[in-house]
Amino acid sequence: MKFADFMSPEAIRAELVADGKEGVIREMLRALLDAGKIEAPEMESIVKAILSREELGSTGIGRGVAVPHTKHSSVDQLVGTVGVSRDGVDFDSLDGEKVYLLFLLVSPLDRPGDHLRALENISRQLRDDRFCRFLKQAKTAEEIRQLLEEADNNQFAS
Amino acid sequence: MDQPRLTRTVTVANRTGLHVRAALAIYNLARQFQTQVEIVMDRQRASAGDMLHMLSLGANPGQELVLEAIGPQAEQALDALAELFAAGFHEDDPQTGRR
Repeated sequence: MKFADFMSPEAIRAELVADGKEGVIREMLRALLDAGKIEAPEMESIVKAILSREELGSTGIGRGVAVPHTKHSSVDQLVGTVGVSRDGVDFDSLDGEKVYLLFLLVSPLDRPGDHLRALENISRQLRDDRFCRFLKQAKTAEEIRQLLEEADNNQFAS
Repeated sequence: MDQPRLTRTVTVANRTGLHVRAALAIYNLARQFQTQVEIVMDRQRASAGDMLHMLSLGANPGQELVLEAIGPQAEQALDALAELFAAGFHEDDPQTGRR
């Protein structure tokens, strides 16, 4: 599953401003809301669902990366976005380090396969140091969008 | 290397596949043993000590995997991990949330 299949280019955030776990999650969801990918009345419910999932175990999986996510009844296909935090966010990560790169996913209730495919792709790309470096150094959402396109074209980890 | 290298075949038995929670369960369990553990899926290998590596396998429910363990506690590690896999990573346990 390529980034183009689930990433919302208008929801990409090259400079997240929030400084806490809940803050960045809200910021990224607001980006999805503004991009028309989630509905306003569902926003709080989705925030709660993502935070509940975090309670089960942080999605800060180490190496400065987090993959907050949830299933939700209000989406009929997988939607996702990426955000970069310049200063890093405390995410209660596996390695105790701050998180700088966040990939957020909201998936439909009945399609766990899509979620797994997206996670597989995200993880594969993040294993490539150049991909991570370029992502962190990107100054605009457009640069990130291009980076994801290059990743889809196998310019990085394949 | 004198240390025994043991293998065990397991199956991904949960409904979601090797997603974040499953990978974390493997990671947390494997690190309790003085053993290097790798997961082999067809021609891909992933270290059980590396979250991104495991997640990049994208192992589906029903996927057969081979666990390879090298080290003084290889047998115990494989026993514990095989049980974890067989239990579907305890994802339907009421006590999920243990780390």
